[in-house]
Amino acid sequence: MSTQNPEASSQTLEQLLECLPALKDQATQAGLADLLEKLAPLLQGRRLHNIVDLLAATSDVIEMSDDAMLQKVMALYEESVGGIWMLTNALRYASQQSAANPTPPTLWQSVRKFNQNEDARRGLDVVANILAELGRQAAIKGQTMPED
Amino acid sequence: MIKTIIVVGGGVGGTMTANNLVSKLYPEISRSKVRIILISNSPWHYYKPAFMYVAFGAFYKDELRRHQASLLRPEIDFVLDQVDSFEFKQSRLRMSSGATYDYDYLVVSTGCIPSPERIEGLQEAGDHFYQHDPARQLYDKISTIEKGRIFIGVTFPKTPNVPHQCGIAPMETTLMLDEFLRKRGVRDQVEIVYTYPTISQLVRNCLFLQKDTGEVLPSIFDSKNIIHKRGFTLASVDPERKVAISEEGEEENFDILIQTPPIRAVDAVLNSGVSQAVNNEGWLPTDRYSLQLDGFENVFVMGDTVDLPISKAGGSCHNQSPVICNNIAGLIRWGKTIAEYDGKVQAIAQMGMDAGMPLWYDYDVDVIPTPPTKIGGLMRKSFNRGVYWSVARGLV
Repeated sequence: MSTQNPEASSQTLEQLLECLPALKDQATQAGLADLLEKLAPLLQGRRLHNIVDLLAATSDVIEMSDDAMLQKVMALYEESVGGIWMLTNALRYASQQSAANPTPPTLWQSVRKFNQNEDARRGLDVVANILAELGRQAAIKGQTMPED
Repeated sequence: MIKTIIVVGGGVGGTMTANNLVSKLYPEISRSKVRIILISNSPWHYYKPAFMYVAFGAFYKDELRRHQASLLRPEIDFVLDQVDSFEFKQSRLRMSSGATYDYDYLVVSTGCIPSPERIEGLQEAGDHFYQHDPARQLYDKISTIEKGRIFIGVTFPKTPNVPHQCGIAPMETTLMLDEFLRKRGVRDQVEIVYTYPTISQLVRNCLFLQKDTGEVLPSIFDSKNIIHKRGFTLASVDPERKVAISEEGEEENFDILIQTPPIRAVDAVLNSGVSQAVNNEGWLPTDRYSLQLDGFENVFVMGDTVDLPISKAGGSCHNQSPVICNNIAGLIRWGKTIAEYDGKVQAIAQMGMDAGMPLWYDYDVDVIPTPPTKIGGLMRKSFNRGVYWSVARGLV
């Protein structure tokens, strides 16, 4: 920890700035002048404070992040991306197969497809299960809850 | 006539390449001009780098694997079978099931196999973290050791200028081990000794396979009281005496020996007769730019199977895959390859249990070491827990 008094350190700051080799570079000085010009309105209007606060908040989140939090966030990422990927794959592949037939199947041919294709029947079952689950959740929402 | 492209290997290289080929060649696939087959001998896809975390009790098996078929686009035919022999001249694969597959283009991404049995005594007395079960066994040991000596060593392939599996892993695990034992409160009673062989690719008597990184390691290890030693090339292990014996003529005792083991190509690649690698290691002679198998324009090699001076790791596959996809597309569409691999590899090194260090290098420029950070650690953990699966799907 520094033991210098405040007066001495304010004097040495100027000296320090003068001594910094990077600050003696003309390109650095020009860059700093440009940057200060950009920052001036933000400083004058106290708007730069928000950016500093945002950086501080970001830094706080980084400090607070631990394994358990990260695993939950990444599980959400993986479930979201994996789910969207599966659905878009199915949509693209199914559309391509349909487009490959010059004429769409008749209603009777479609029914036969369900009868002959196990995957198609399973897909239908998945849709039925999704509808059942949506129905169950809707029923829960619609329940009248007793007062505590 | 429909062109058949076969990708052999369900690791990250093969999986991402099959998916990337679908993206690249979708116009041909949708007109039934091209079909893509992926062949793997396992119904599971493992995130292999996570085995390292298993050794520290930080990953369960079901967290590091997925159904192989669930990672593939529906346009890919997934075949669960094992290649018995590659008949490159006939453009044919013979399978364990008795089936045969003819191809127009082939991608060999069959990985490598840790082979501790190639060093006398290592199988019996050594540990490693390059497969799930050995990593699990290592966890049992380091989570119960109360005092003693953990000796860490690295074995390079005998083929000149070919690295071992995942170059940074021994250093990563050494730093993780130090922190793991500190958290357990036994670090003061356990001596950690990190060693490196005399010959490591192109450098000699170093602590890492790249000079700049090797030079910063002593100060890092000293600050953590990790003993480091150059010029220890493991020749054999005496399981009864618990002694590691080096080619340089030294003996070192240990309570736990963590040794990066010898590696080799899979049997079918070894038996193909094409490899010129010494010590029956089986690396396929690969054009360093086009990634074609020498002498076979329609065969591409990637990942651990190549004989290139590039890390045997997913970070290499990530950069090789687009080159191979572009070159196969080039051959189909223009009759010639159009892309070149520059040797780029990127990764985020795990520097201790929480810190990470992003790194990259290529054929010409080595890794420039930077200070490990918590943000780097979070990046690595995010990759481990989620982003990896997007990489395998060819999304990132």
